[in-house]
Amino acid sequence: MTVPLGAYVAVSAVLFFIGCAGVLVRRNAVVILMCVELMLNAANLALVAFSRKYGSIDERGSVFVVFVFVIAAAEVAVGLAIILSAYRNRPVVDVDQIHQMKG
Amino acid sequence: MTFDFVEPVVFALLAIGVIAGGAAVVLLSRITAGALLMAFTFLCMAGMFVLLGAETIAAFQVLIYVGAITVLILYGVMFTKFGDRPRALFFQRQTPLAVVFVAAVAIPVALFSFSFTSAPPRPGGGDLPALATSVFTDFAFPFEIASVLLLAAMVGAIVLTGRDDPEEAALRRRR
Repeated sequence: MTVPLGAYVAVSAVLFFIGCAGVLVRRNAVVILMCVELMLNAANLALVAFSRKYGSIDERGSVFVVFVFVIAAAEVAVGLAIILSAYRNRPVVDVDQIHQMKG
Repeated sequence: MTFDFVEPVVFALLAIGVIAGGAAVVLLSRITAGALLMAFTFLCMAGMFVLLGAETIAAFQVLIYVGAITVLILYGVMFTKFGDRPRALFFQRQTPLAVVFVAAVAIPVALFSFSFTSAPPRPGGGDLPALATSVFTDFAFPFEIASVLLLAAMVGAIVLTGRDDPEEAALRRRR
């Protein structure tokens, strides 16, 4: 008895929406970045599951996972740099208090 | 005696780890604990990749997510101070609305996702040959673009965080 594809996709969907809720709900900018990482990882799980279990001949899905890794690394580096430079201007990481660009 | 029950049991344990870790990242107020639980979630996800037969991706996951990204996030937690605040201030004001909205979208999607059925299993073997063949033939150009993107992100992060304080630069030169 093997685990069906649907179970993997369901875990992926649940983790994605947990991350989505975290982005919408939390105030700390670093936690929001962490939740974005969770969402990217959930997408990775769906890609790998479809690539391995949906009967494709070549495994193109895994290649997209590699690119998602690259994007995630670049995103977290630039995101943390933006948070740190905003923090240096005013020492807050609460996204509600970072409103200096508000018109 | 067969060991057919091992795979569902391992999958269930990993699924519980992934979902509990993700929920803890959202719900816990202590950020350092949240970052470490995020690493735990990524480790459980690597276990799922192994279960799916994608060992190379699992290795990448451990190296990049558990290694690099968690350390970066921990540095971010270290450099920014988010003091002790009352519990109500961890969450945004729109929390109930957001939770209702996300649940309204999530529950149908999660139920729908069970409807996918898997194809008959193919003969075994790791995912490295197929992955390498795709990366270095069809996806060679996007692969190069990805390396340029990483270079741009590195330069951008240095530019964004580097101080250009003239006094400090003079001080550093004198040292």
